[in-house]
Amino acid sequence: MVFVRARSLLGRGPGKGETSAWVDVMVLLLLGAVLASFIAAGREWARPLAPQVVIDTSFAALPGYTLLSLCRGLLAYVLSLGFTLVYGTMAAHSRRAERVLIPVRDVLQSIPVLSFVPGLVLGLVALFPGSNAGLELACVLAIFTGQVWNMTFSYHASLRAIPRELNEVARLHGFGFRKRLLSLEIPSAMIGLVWNSMMSMAGGWFFLTVVESFRLGGQPYRLPGLGSYMAAAIEAGDRRAILGGATAMVLMIVLVDRLLWRPLIAWSERFKQEETGASERPSSFVYDVIRRSRILARVRRWLRRQGDAGTSATVEAAPRRALLRRIVARVVAAFAAGLVLWGGFRLALLLLSLKPGDWLGMARALGFTALRVAAAIALGALWAVPAGIAIGRSPRAARFLQPLIQVLASFPAPMVFPLVAPTLAAAGVGGNTVAIALMLLTTQWYILFNVVAGAAAVPHDLREVASVFGLRRPARFALLYLGAVFPYLATGVVTAAGGAWNASIVAEAVHYRGGEMRVDGVGALIASSFDQGNDAQLAAATVALAALLVVVNRFGWRRLYRLSDERFAMNR
Amino acid sequence: MAGETPLAELRGVWKTYGQEGGRELTVLKDVTLAIQPGEVVAVLGPSGCGKSTLLRIVTGLVPPTRGEVLCRGEPLAGLHPGAAIVFQSFALYPWLTVQQNVRIGLHGKGVPRDEADAQVRRVIDLVGLEGFEEAFPKELSGGMKQRVGIARALVRGPELLCMDEPFGSLDVLTAEALRSEVTKLWQRPDTGLKSVLLITHLIEEAVFLGDRIVVFGTNPGHIHKVVRNDLPYPREYGTKAFLRKVDEVHQVVTRLHLPDEPLVPAPEPPPDRPAPLPAVGMTQLTGLLEILADKGGQMDVFALDALTDYEFGQTIAVVKAGELLDLLDTPKNRVILTALGRAYVAGDPNARKRLLHGQLRELPTFRFVVGLLERAPEKRLSAAAIKEELAARLPPTEPIDRLFQTIVTWSRYAELFGYNATAEELYLDVEGAVAS
Repeated sequence: MVFVRARSLLGRGPGKGETSAWVDVMVLLLLGAVLASFIAAGREWARPLAPQVVIDTSFAALPGYTLLSLCRGLLAYVLSLGFTLVYGTMAAHSRRAERVLIPVRDVLQSIPVLSFVPGLVLGLVALFPGSNAGLELACVLAIFTGQVWNMTFSYHASLRAIPRELNEVARLHGFGFRKRLLSLEIPSAMIGLVWNSMMSMAGGWFFLTVVESFRLGGQPYRLPGLGSYMAAAIEAGDRRAILGGATAMVLMIVLVDRLLWRPLIAWSERFKQEETGASERPSSFVYDVIRRSRILARVRRWLRRQGDAGTSATVEAAPRRALLRRIVARVVAAFAAGLVLWGGFRLALLLLSLKPGDWLGMARALGFTALRVAAAIALGALWAVPAGIAIGRSPRAARFLQPLIQVLASFPAPMVFPLVAPTLAAAGVGGNTVAIALMLLTTQWYILFNVVAGAAAVPHDLREVASVFGLRRPARFALLYLGAVFPYLATGVVTAAGGAWNASIVAEAVHYRGGEMRVDGVGALIASSFDQGNDAQLAAATVALAALLVVVNRFGWRRLYRLSDERFAMNR
Repeated sequence: MAGETPLAELRGVWKTYGQEGGRELTVLKDVTLAIQPGEVVAVLGPSGCGKSTLLRIVTGLVPPTRGEVLCRGEPLAGLHPGAAIVFQSFALYPWLTVQQNVRIGLHGKGVPRDEADAQVRRVIDLVGLEGFEEAFPKELSGGMKQRVGIARALVRGPELLCMDEPFGSLDVLTAEALRSEVTKLWQRPDTGLKSVLLITHLIEEAVFLGDRIVVFGTNPGHIHKVVRNDLPYPREYGTKAFLRKVDEVHQVVTRLHLPDEPLVPAPEPPPDRPAPLPAVGMTQLTGLLEILADKGGQMDVFALDALTDYEFGQTIAVVKAGELLDLLDTPKNRVILTALGRAYVAGDPNARKRLLHGQLRELPTFRFVVGLLERAPEKRLSAAAIKEELAARLPPTEPIDRLFQTIVTWSRYAELFGYNATAEELYLDVEGAVAS
């Protein structure tokens, strides 16, 4: 090590391949910090049941709350990852399972987090009587429902896209389940999985204020964390604390991005299948540093040996095990079917208790919200498309602004609604406009983010054509860039629409100190039924919303994707 | 012809690009070239010699670092108004139909709508795309796509058609057919076309189309020699005159890349001073040696080139690599297998490896790298460090990344030293690393 230090003193830093003791110290410190946070979080779980803790809105309390929320988010992420691997593998390996699992996923995906909360909380609190673990688990699972679908979708799509030859090689060589998963399926899906993990984690924060602090059947629940800090700050009308909480949120997003996602993205580059030489490779400073750690190098070598050891147990998939597997599959299927039946029965009972007039009101509310979502998307696209193209065209601006936009897109906009809404209301802006403005605030970043990526990826020769044939700005925009960013715009619009529907729950009924702003819409309906503990109406609104979203998905978005694939894909 | 003003002219043009780490890469060195009205200028060179950059400078897409660019005798400001480009990759907009793609060529020309429609129809007819007006590029074969590319260029009524390896992405037969069609188009009086600038790496293509063949040298790209080609149209591949011309150009190219005597009788280099290597894979070299052995151990370099399906210049690079390793000898235009070369071809994979291992140990570049590794702790060094050391000892025009790639490929093959791509480091202890 002395050698390396001497060299850096001479003005030549250690090269990429050399190890450094400092890195090891940093890695150990980081590990210690992570461990300490989880121990602190664990203490929360072990506490006796205390539905409502007092939240300290001083800045000094912020780091602790942020860490607690981060632990919940990471725990939810681990659950999401496990769920994704199981669900995706099942859907990809069995035609029959796929036929059931995919529509189920589409429906579940469109159910807002709030609708899960009552069932989760009541069930889990009953399961852990006298302990806070049930409540904590309910919160983690609520965050999980906001994270998981994105990843599941990506993983399943990646498994389906594995080239046939690679699958055939795995079969010819008698890969066992474990070997196939570790050496073919996960590596093939890795890039998509990492990117979508990042998006999913961001999606999980969206309802943080709601899942850490809510009322259920008149009983207020509150867990210590950044979300309830924000909720308390909003309730107290403490602008300083709201801004402090928002800053902590941004810092957390940026730190997780730098310490977790960037290194993972840089690492996952190695799983790229096609070889594109010219394009810029993602890089991460932290990743470059981490690679110089000796401890991690040891761990890596150990892991590799473990992976190799796993290769021998392959071909002899005994018939007895196959039988066992079939029995387990039957039992699981029967259990799931029973659960669905029982749930369906309860749901039907709930729904039957509603009057026809309620349903009419629901349809009206859905229509209003749909119009608002459409308006928010249209307005967002109107400015984000030209702006995104302008940014994406300049590599320097893109490199500089892209991470910024990513943070803005990851930031849970509902956190600042109570800051924005009264200001708008005081300026005499109507409730409809405020709701649309709040949705816009949430969703525009998705459009911008995707369009920037699309405009930055326009092939060089297509741009040269525009130059050589003298396409001026309007024509260049219409003929070249609009077409080139279309697939990206489609992704952006679909993501933004999902975000806007979700945001309706917080945008159509905004509580702030000294007032409330409410407009007629399905979001407001879900929020008020939740607050009042009106389970029948909550269930009905959720079912109606999910049904509408599935229809939009089938007949709207899927068509959009097909058009984008057939007409605008770049594989020339 | 001499009295007319050239359509486009380059005078003493240089082009350099800044690279990572502050190094500059010179792509074009002192290029002077005039394109006269009524001629086809074919620029011939291996890939990466800067000939595509030359085309982009002529059209005004890329400004030169130094030197003058003239358009009809006037300094070029912006884009050349009378030039159009046909791209190797076709560069069609996938979301536009054939008709809409062709129409792009008329943008910014201020042609009224009706007239524009008529012109688009006319060129679509001209290149044989009738019936495909409403098709999307995705539905077309490569040849048809390039017809769209040509139509898009022609619809402007350009004086100068710049073609950047226009047949490079097509299969042999399609390329052949399109090549003759281009000659016919070029001879039609009604296209308004005066001259063509063709970029190519195929000698036959240059001889088939070019009135003047500009042979390009590499590192950095420069004009080596201009060969006149007065063969009458229509030209045919098999004729004696054609073959003679091909031979003549071949001679020029071979002299350029395989000079019999070193151009500068350099003083004997110190034994471990790094020197550039031809960017060639060992499998390519082995393939060429085996072909040579099959043909009795010696051959004419052109005949050898015809037998391999490598790109122009690549065969010569492979021969150079063989010469460097003492597996080949090249008196004049002959390529001869040396005794060592025969031993190599006769050996099994392990014997070949051993032989190559011994040869690489003698090469100054490899001695240099091995020396570096032996002095390093644990006998490992990062790629960045090695590249830095190489760069410090080689002329600034040498592409270091490519050289490093070649070094790694050769030494992996011969198990001289290993390269761990994950850690990005070279290590000497090949056996040990494999064992652990």
